[in-house]
Order: sequence, then C-alpha cells, then structure tokens
Amino acid sequence: MSKGPTVRLKRRSRIVLALILVCGFGAVIFRLAHLMLVEGDYLQQKAVYQQLTDTKISAKRGTIYDSTGKVLAKSATVWRVVLAPIYFENDDERLIVSKGLAKILDLKEEDVYEKSQKKLYYVELKRKVESDVRDRVLEFIDKIKEENKITDVINLLPDYKRYYPLGSTGATVIGFTGADDQGLEGIEYMYDSFLTGVPGRMVTAKNANGTNMPFDYEQMIAAQDGNDITLTIDSTVQQFLEKHLEKGIEDYMIYNRAVAIMIDVNTGAVLGMAVENGYDLNDPFEVSDEKVKKAIAELAEDKQQEALSNALTAQWRNKAIGDTYYPGSVFKVCTAAMALEEGVVTTESTFTCTGSYVPYEGVKAIGCHNLGGHGTQNFVQALCNSCNPAFMMIGQRVGEEKFYEYYKAFGFSEKTGIDLPGESEDIFFDEDGIEGNMWPVDLAVASFGQNFAITPLQMVMAVSSIANGGKLLKPYLVAKITDSEGNVIRQTEPVVKRQVISESTSKTMCEILETNAIKGSGKNGYVAGYRIAGKTGTSEKKIDLNGDGEDDYIASYCGFAPADNPQVALIVYFDTPTGMYYYGSQVAAPVFASMMKDILPYLGVETQYTDEELQKLDVTAKSYIGKALSAAENEIEQDGLKHLSYGNGDTVISQIPESGTKIPDGGTVVLYTDENSKDAKVVVPDLTNLTMAEANRKAAQYNLNISISGATSSGELLSVSQDIAEGEQVSPGTVITVQFRTNSGDDNVM
Amino acid sequence: MDNYYTVRQHGAINRYWAAAVDKTSQKRRPASPAKRPSGKRPSSSRPAAPQSRQREQYAQTVNKRRQKFKLFSARLGLDMPFCVLIVVLLVVGLIMMFSASYPYAYYNDGNSYLYLSRQLKFAVVGFIIMILASYFDYHHLHSLSVPILGFSFILLVVVLFLPSKNNIHRWVDIGLFSFQASEVMKFALILFLAHWGSVNFRQMGTFKIGVLPCIIIYGITVFLLYLEPHYSCIVIITMLTGMMMFLSGVRLRWFAIAGGLIVAGVLLMAVTGMLSYAMERMDGWGQALIYTTEGMWQTTWQTRNSLYAIGSGGLWGLGLGQSRQKYLYLPEPQNDFIFAIVCEELGLVGAIIILMIFAALVWRGITLSMRAKDKFGTLLGIGLTAQVGLQVVLNMLVITDWLPNTGITLPFFSYGGTSLVMQLAQMGIVLSISRTANIEKV
Repeated sequence: MSKGPTVRLKRRSRIVLALILVCGFGAVIFRLAHLMLVEGDYLQQKAVYQQLTDTKISAKRGTIYDSTGKVLAKSATVWRVVLAPIYFENDDERLIVSKGLAKILDLKEEDVYEKSQKKLYYVELKRKVESDVRDRVLEFIDKIKEENKITDVINLLPDYKRYYPLGSTGATVIGFTGADDQGLEGIEYMYDSFLTGVPGRMVTAKNANGTNMPFDYEQMIAAQDGNDITLTIDSTVQQFLEKHLEKGIEDYMIYNRAVAIMIDVNTGAVLGMAVENGYDLNDPFEVSDEKVKKAIAELAEDKQQEALSNALTAQWRNKAIGDTYYPGSVFKVCTAAMALEEGVVTTESTFTCTGSYVPYEGVKAIGCHNLGGHGTQNFVQALCNSCNPAFMMIGQRVGEEKFYEYYKAFGFSEKTGIDLPGESEDIFFDEDGIEGNMWPVDLAVASFGQNFAITPLQMVMAVSSIANGGKLLKPYLVAKITDSEGNVIRQTEPVVKRQVISESTSKTMCEILETNAIKGSGKNGYVAGYRIAGKTGTSEKKIDLNGDGEDDYIASYCGFAPADNPQVALIVYFDTPTGMYYYGSQVAAPVFASMMKDILPYLGVETQYTDEELQKLDVTAKSYIGKALSAAENEIEQDGLKHLSYGNGDTVISQIPESGTKIPDGGTVVLYTDENSKDAKVVVPDLTNLTMAEANRKAAQYNLNISISGATSSGELLSVSQDIAEGEQVSPGTVITVQFRTNSGDDNVM
Repeated sequence: MDNYYTVRQHGAINRYWAAAVDKTSQKRRPASPAKRPSGKRPSSSRPAAPQSRQREQYAQTVNKRRQKFKLFSARLGLDMPFCVLIVVLLVVGLIMMFSASYPYAYYNDGNSYLYLSRQLKFAVVGFIIMILASYFDYHHLHSLSVPILGFSFILLVVVLFLPSKNNIHRWVDIGLFSFQASEVMKFALILFLAHWGSVNFRQMGTFKIGVLPCIIIYGITVFLLYLEPHYSCIVIITMLTGMMMFLSGVRLRWFAIAGGLIVAGVLLMAVTGMLSYAMERMDGWGQALIYTTEGMWQTTWQTRNSLYAIGSGGLWGLGLGQSRQKYLYLPEPQNDFIFAIVCEELGLVGAIIILMIFAALVWRGITLSMRAKDKFGTLLGIGLTAQVGLQVVLNMLVITDWLPNTGITLPFFSYGGTSLVMQLAQMGIVLSISRTANIEKV
C-alpha cells in the first residue's frame, strides 16, 4: 500500500505553511514594528517614567549679612530621618527599629511603630536632625544590619536648617523660615525667591520595589544655591537701638511695644529698625513675652491654640511699618516746613497762645498742653514750645488744600515702598469719601498731628526729607544681592521720590529743630557734641487699651544729626507708657539721646563741640598717688576716664598725667605701682591731618592723651600740629596738645 | 543515484498500485480497476517487471543497509538544517531566559542563576531525548497513538483532582518533576489525528470517518480543558484539530460549519456567563494603556509593562542584558512574556531575526514532513511543527495585546523544564521523520 503524501495533502500542507508564515508571523512582525517604531517613543517614555525616581536635592538658602558683613542668617546642613517601612519583613524588625529610633530621635515609640507599619517607601520620622544625632542613627543602621539583618529601612537625607547667629537682633526685619525652608516673615519672606535658589534633582532608576537598579543610571542636576543678601542694617546700630528700647520699655512700663528706626537721610537706607519686644529668630514659634506666655498657659485648653496663634501673630508683627499711630507733635515739623515753604509764615512771625484756641466760631476751644498759655512767641519759639494753638493758626494759614497737598508730598498718603512685607497705609480724613476732604476742625487738630494715622516709618522718612534738603527718599533694607559666587546681581540705588520742600526751607528747619533740641522742648534728646535736631511728640490715642482707666498715649521723638550736615535720622516711639512719665520729652527723648550717644561715635560722625561744651569736656586729673590700685581705678572710672596700670605693686606710686593736668573726657590715666615700671615708654604717633575723633582714637591706641586746642564749633576740623613730635618716646598717658583748624577755608587759619 | 531514484519510484508505484488494486477490488470500488488502470503508469510498468525486480533487489539491499545504519549514523538522513535551527533557538532561548530571569531570580530567590541552571539541565536532557527520539522509528507511534490518547485523557481527568493553584488544575506533580497535562494532550491529539488521517485517508471526506471521530475526541478534550480551566490550550487545540483535519482531507464545508458553530458557541457561553474566568482576563484586553479603574489597572499590569518593554526596544534595542522592565516591572519575565524582554533588549531587528529563525524552523519542518515516506509522517511532522509555529504566533499576539492574556508559552524561550523536554522530544520525532524523508539522499 502506498503511504506517501497525496497531492492534496501536499497542497493543503503548503496552505497551512503559508497561513502560519504569512498570516501568523506576518501579523506578529507588523504588530511588533508598529509598537516599537510608531508607538515606541510614547511607550518608552511611559516606561522611563515609572522606572525613574526623581529625588529633590535641597538648595542651600542664601546667607543674610548686615552692612558690615556680619552674618545675620545662615543655612547649615542637617539631616532628615526617613523610614522605608515596606522593607520590614516581620513585626520583630519593626519593634527593634522603632524602639531604637525612638530613643535616638527622642520620639514616642508607639508613633514610630505605627509609621513602620505603613507599606510605603517614604515616611518622614524627624526633620532637621543635627549631625551628632545623625551619627548615632548611622551607628544604629550598622548595628541592626549586623545583628538583625535589617537593611534599607532607614534613610538619611540631607536637609538645611536656618541659623540666626545674633538671635533676636533685627528679628522683625530679618524674619524667619518655615519647616520647608520657605521665608515666612521679613526679608526672608520678601526676598524668598532670591534666597531660595534652585533645588537640584537626582534621577535614579528604580525597580518596581523602589530600590536602586544595579546598573548605572543616575543623573544629578546639582542644586543651585540661593543668593546672598546684604542688608543696609548695621547689626551694631541695631543692637544699640534694641538695647535702649528694651531699657525704655522697662523704665517707662511700656504696655504695647516700642519702635526705633534709623535712616541714612542721604540715601534712604535703613541702618536699624528695632521693634521691641522682639523674639528669638532661632525659636520664632515660642512666645517671647513671659507674661503673655503665662497668660496663655492659664487659659482653658481649647482656647490656648487660638490665643497662642494670636500672640505669635502679634509678636511677629512689624510695628515699625505695620501699625499706624497719631504722630502728634512730631508732625508739627511737617506743618512748620510746609508753612515756611508756602511763605505763609517766616521765622519772625508771631503767634499768641492763651492756653487754648478756638479754630473757628462755634467750636469748643482746643487746649494747649501748657494750660497757662505760652503768650506771644515767634515761629521758632512756637515750635520749641510745641504750642498747639500756634500750630492751629499756622495750619489755618496753610489751608486745607495745601495741607493735604503737602501731606501727600511728604509721602504719608502712600506706602513708603520699603522692601518688607506687611506695610500699612495711612488713615487720613476723608469726608464724603474723598481723602483729603476735611472740616476746618480737622485741619486744626491735624496741624499738631492728631486724628490721622501714619506709620513710624512714614514719619521718619518725612523728617529725613526735611533734613536732607527736601528730597523724599524711598527707604530700603537690601543693599545688594550677590550670587553664591559673589557676583553682584542687584545693587540698590537710592530713589528720590520727589523734592518736597526747597533746600533753604530745609536749612531753616534744621536750624529751628537744632534750637529745639538744644533748648526747646526737645532738649532731652540732645547729645553734646553732635548737633542733634529733633522734635518730641506725645499723641493721644483717645482710647484705653491697657485698661488703666486713662486714655493711652504714644511718646515719640524724631530727630536727626548733625544739624548742619544731617546724616542719620532716628525715630523712637513708645506705645502706651503706663508709668509716671508719658510725654515724648520725658520718655522718648532720653532714649533717643542715649541711642544717638552710642551710635553717632560708632558711625564716625564727627563731634563738633561748642566752646562751652569743650570746657565742660576737659577733666582735671586728680591725684591718685598713695591710693590702693583698685580704689584708684574705681575713682578714675567714676570720673569718666580710662586707666592703665604698670608694675606689680598694690599702691599707686606715681601717675601720668599729673594731678591738675587737663585731659579730655574719656582720656587715659596711667598708674604706676613700682619704680621699675616707670620705664615703660610709647612712641608718639603722627596725630596731624586727622579729625578730632580720629586723633582721639589714635592717641588712645597708643595710651596717650590729647589736649585739643584751636577748636571752633563750626565746620569740619583737622589737626595741623602736635606739641610732641612724632617718633619721640614718652611715658604712656602723656598729654599731647594737638592743634585743630577748620578746613572750610585755607586762609582761615585758627 | 539517478538510477536508484527511478528504481525507487517504480518500486513504490508498484507497491502502491498493488495495494490499491487489492483494496479497491476487495471492498469499496469493485468497478474501479477498469477505470484506474487505464492510466499510463501501471500499464507501462507491468511489462518491465523482470528489470524491475532486479532493481527492487538492489533497493532492498540499500534498505537493509539503511536499517543497519539507522541506529548508529547521525548523519544518516537527519535533517541538519532543522536540527541546527533547533539548537540555535535553544541556545538563544537559554541566553534570553537567563537575561530575563536574572533580576527576578535575584530579588525572589537571591540567586540570579537559579532559573538558568535549572533550565540548562532540562535543555541537556531534552537535547539527548531529542537525538534519541530521532532514531526512534515513528511508525511505532501508529500503534501507540490510541493508548497515548487514552492516557492523556486519564491525565486530564486526574489533574482535576490534584491540588490546584488559584483554582486552576493544570499541573501534574510526580515528585521528580511536574508537567502540564495539557502539554501531553496536545501531543496526543496531534498523534491521534495524524494516525487517524493517515489510516483513513480515503474516507476523510466523509462525515462518519473524517469528521465525527475527530469532533468527539476534540469535544472531550475541550470539555476536560474547560474544567481545568485552560482556555489558551483550548485555542491551540482547536487550531491544531482544525489544521490536522484540513490536512487529512476533510471537506471544506465542514470547516465553514465548524466556524459558524464556534462563533455561536462562544456567543452562547458568553451569554450564559460560563466564560467568566476568560472574560475576566479578557476584560483588560486591548486597554492596557488606558486607566479606567484601579482594579483594571492592576489586572492589565503585566500586559502594560510588556508593551512598555516592547516599545522601549525601538529599532536596535537597549542591548543584551540592559532591559529595565525586567526589574520587577514585568512580572515573571522568564515565562510567557519573555519575548517582551527580548524586544526591549534586542530591538525590532533582534526580534525579527529570532522570528525568522522560528519561521525557518516551521518552513523546514513542514517541507521536510511533506517529503516523508508516508502520510502519517507528513501529518505528524506538520502537526508537531505547526504547533511550535502556532504557539510562537499566539504568544507574540498575547504579549503585544492583540490577544487576551491567556498563558501561552514561547517554545524554547519560556522557562519550564518539562515543557522544554517535551518540546525537544517532539522535535526529535520530526527529526525521525526527516530521516525517512531524506533517505533518498543516501
């Protein structure tokens, strides 16, 4: 029987073969080609998307410096402890890890255990862990790996923490950052985009379980560090402001915080902006005021949270720009300036004060603080007396329209534009909804700064414009922004908003205000040698917030120095003194003076003593011979002098300068306690061509004293000669007489 | 050679003719001798009988020598191209299986070489079995076909009572190794249909002989596989049965009827909800890349990641061993979806080359079977070869989401020792067929 395939079988075999190859394999190849070539990109993108993990690398936040280069805010590396609980294999491992980590990180064991039960790759345990804790975590990781074979569950990721080396200094200005390194207040908030930098990314390939794939697939895009910011704030100035404010708050029992702002009158740069009580920037969420803290703790539990958040909001609030107040008599400076500028008064114009004044018929009389009246006074005296009736009259002469025009020109109706968040707007009369529209009685009280509200910053900027020749400047805090390599990205140039008053009016105002500071109502704010010009203010808040049954007051003082060539302006403002004193002249002026006394020498502002002052300044050295060294030293300090002692004895055997010699205030008395020590010598330095302050400082460096001769109180003085020549050897403490002359004209010798 | 060829043909024709006359005269066509012998060849061969006998003697000596050498000479008749193609696929398959299983084995068992070492052992065993099987005279399978069929039915019943995995009864575990009952069934069915078709090749055009027995056996198989359940195997069994019947000469109208019945049957099952398991699997069919529900997204995870892998390959691929999708994204990348990893690593070019090797294997297997000495050899060889080709095509259509994810392995590539050994043993039978097919070349 024949077995071979038949023709039909062969034909059908070929059909089967063709079907499998053409229809089957053909379809497969078509499908594969379609997927790999046409949809390939899309599918590959999807695949890559699920394979790659994108890890954010924090960028280092920029540093904030003060104007002298001191660090105010800086970021340092800390660590974030993260759990990957998906890798736990059993409950024992969870218990071991949660117990260990809870102990190291100071967390509750139950919390960690709870987190360890999640089937996740990333569960944050603790942020901002310092490196010593991190080392302990690393040790723990090694330990459990070795002893319990637990791996991959604990991760440490770098993080940054913000440090504020000066603590509470400049708190309201600098501000602070939140948990995610984002600026929340102050400069940190305002310049967040500059400080933040660009976070980097690390792209790694992961398998479906989230661990790294063994092959090399990693791409790093480095983080770009944030920019550094240099402030116009000088931390020393800031600290002086804060120190004296704090003291003032204590001394005068201030109920509602205090503010001091110092402005460079020629540029608008803010040299210091203090709001007290401040808070510690390293711990901004802690209520700094112990009294408030205690009050919150005593509240019912459900109300604590709200009270706490209110207290923190109040604590962070920048009173210098965020709160408005009635400027009170300080505003008379502006009223006076506009009256002079408009020519409705001269310095010789006279005004009669009878203790009260009726601005127009049918209105109740408005009293003066001097109930007996100031009598007849000229314009300068009216300001020095801070006489309300006189200023009502001046205001009337200016007129409502002009008054509002100047009000706007001085910048009160607009935000100053300072680079800080939370600046408030003024509240001015707006009869019929039109700002500036006021009744005559409104004008009367507005003339002496009542019933309209402005911010302290607006006030000091207006006074600055009066001081600097009439230019209203835009205040600023950031001097420059530099990138992480030090290239300057942005440099702030002073912005003159407008010329408010003429230079001559400005000059006249400076003179009047200096007079006021020397012998007028502002004399408590005067500092000998520094030609202070200023004006006090006591504004009625017409509201009793502290609940003592009396309306609250704000005591303020605004001034500048030196009067002949103004450099800095300062406003000091105490909200609600509850002590015995509440007038600006009693509360704010002394604080203003002590601030100026510290800050002006620090800033290198030249002293210009009047002859009268110079006389007062020189101290006659007493005899300390025979006294015990410590007793002598005490005595010298009490006399306002410095001391220096040589030798090993306990008793002073001789002294330089000898008793009866005149030495300048703050000079040095050298005490010798044994014979051998008298041989100590110093080389006399060149003391010529220096200003008085420089000469004084240089002499002090060499432990020498200088006696000033040829001084006049006007103009800038430079030393021209010294009685003991440069290079000679003298005993420490020797008084060298240095001759000064003004350099305002070469022919004007002596 | 030319000489022998003529002799052989004549001899064959003589034998054929003798048998034909014998059979027809006895049974079916008493009148046909008058018809048939009127053809040229019988009449021309008859007078040449003495010459023919001489040559037949020569042929018998050759045949004796063939039988003598059969067990000893690998060269003798073995179809070298087919054998080489199998070896190439086996080696490439092993390499790709290793590459695909490497991370999976690493993460699951801690030993990246686990699957390779296991598969390698089976490959060696399978290769030896293949060579042995190629020496085995496949004609013995004639008598074995019915017992094997019976045995595989028993297996299919037994497996239903064995412990299940996810309620699926597929695996028979006999300690040393385990295997799928359906694998045996596929072979048994091809074998039986080849046997039936070759023995009854004349009557295959009838319903009683050509269709009914095949349909009954097919029906029982499908029913048992449905109980397992193993739908993908049903698909293959259906295609194989249809193909074997087609080859055996079943009339085309039956296929038209069968096609209609299948469509109707599927519709009926769909209506009655019996296809629940398969439908569940088919739910995500074709929408692996579209997010509808979380559950569906999880269901289509494997298919989706297969598509991602294939798409990532592009024209040239990511390079051998460079697949990313095998890092636990594509579940069990060494099994059904191994070709997705091949595509990712070797690209379209590599995939087409491998497909071409498979195509060449199918081509060679079918053409050599067509030269077999008997219809049984032809049918069996084509059946076994086509099974490989069908599985390749179905597997690829599954991984490319043109067919529902049903669990069809890729021959020589997918991990699975017993399956590989059986695959190779079946290829051994094709090689055995090739020996008889190529005998004239000796």
